[in-house]
Amino acid sequence: MAGGVDLISLMKDGVVEPKALVNLKTIQDLTYIREDAEGLKIGALTSIDEIENARVIKDKYTMIAEAAHSVASPQVRNMATIGGNLCQEVRCWYYRRSPVTGTSFYCLRKGGKHCYAIAGRNEYHAIFRTGKCFAVCPSDLAPALIALEAKVKVARLDGERVVPLERFYTPLGNILEPDEIITEILVPAQPPDSKQKYLKFRLRKSIDFAISSVAASIIAESGRITKARIVLGGVAPTPYRAIRAEEVLKGQMITASVVEASAKAAVKEAKPLSLNAYKVPITEALVKRAIVG
Amino acid sequence: MANEIYTITLAVNSDDYQLEVEAQWTLADVLREKLGLTGTKTMCNEGGCGACTVLIDQKPVLSCLTLALECEGKNILTIEGMADPATGELHPIQTAFVEHSGMQCGVCTPGMILTAKALLNDNPNPTEAEVREALAGNICRCGNYKRIVECVLAAAEMMRGGNWNA
Repeated sequence: MAGGVDLISLMKDGVVEPKALVNLKTIQDLTYIREDAEGLKIGALTSIDEIENARVIKDKYTMIAEAAHSVASPQVRNMATIGGNLCQEVRCWYYRRSPVTGTSFYCLRKGGKHCYAIAGRNEYHAIFRTGKCFAVCPSDLAPALIALEAKVKVARLDGERVVPLERFYTPLGNILEPDEIITEILVPAQPPDSKQKYLKFRLRKSIDFAISSVAASIIAESGRITKARIVLGGVAPTPYRAIRAEEVLKGQMITASVVEASAKAAVKEAKPLSLNAYKVPITEALVKRAIVG
Repeated sequence: MANEIYTITLAVNSDDYQLEVEAQWTLADVLREKLGLTGTKTMCNEGGCGACTVLIDQKPVLSCLTLALECEGKNILTIEGMADPATGELHPIQTAFVEHSGMQCGVCTPGMILTAKALLNDNPNPTEAEVREALAGNICRCGNYKRIVECVLAAAEMMRGGNWNA
């Protein structure tokens, strides 16, 4: 357990019932933000509050500061860590349904056979069908970090591995083994002319999780886009890389018609459920705005 | 894990309390049930409302999602620690909430006041937007936000003008 924000809620709801908790905050030296020629290194126990306020992040990795600032509330940002933000569980109300408040659902994510959102209430669920579970990855930092090609360092007792964050997530969770933890997040140095933008749509600006979010990282040479990465949050069980949207941008100047076409391509493969089609135009609009910056 | 008893010392409002706690007890549980400090409210009990906000080492955090065991060696401030312990004189933020009608039902008030205290420690002269931003995690179900923001601005003015040292 690091900040505990997600885990204690899950324990209160009886979704997880650990026999013991290990307090990761007793590990020395996992709270830091450092920059060198390779890029940015963030210790996994660094709080979201420290990340949104770090000068180097505000100046050079603006999208990470934007994403951090958009997380939950000031209190949560004081408590929650970046490692926890990346590993947090989905907010699906079938998955989280509490034995304390009513019947709980033995859903697909818990080892059952069905995703109850498909035939049930699904207004906040996935619009991209990348798996059989339709809960969405709630992390704000994950899309921003994936757009910047971040990697995570994963450690266990007898060694460590470095994994691109893009490959960290699986349809029902992440690649961490029970004896592994994230220790560091590495973000490569960004070219000085890179444009970054993180945008998030939510019901209440003060606190909510994303209905949809977009992280865009765009690099251009004399106005022509040489590289674009667009990652969507809140719309799939994992952060969703909008590769079609990136392809539309490549080699182009940013014009209204290019932006329009890219945003359309971003949601081309969306297959909304019965109650969440409204997320498609919201996502498309966010992509447009994020590209324009 | 459940039912294992640990003995800890908690520093709450500058007093040390030696307590026996279970591993899974939250700070909110311990403040309310063991210390009788029921000024700290628990509403949603899942981190979504801010009613249980206390200051730990001067930062606003949610006591409903903080394990009591983790709080050893830290300074905890609750609403009961805001007034002057010798004279009972209210803190200027409390005074402002009384004078400018900052509370309706009152359940969000302790959390609002503690969050405001952390803001004014860092930023004695906030703008209205900064107050709203700082209080973003404190939900008032009566919808009294306009007056609450006015109270914090009034308190800031009082504290800048006065010789208040808390």
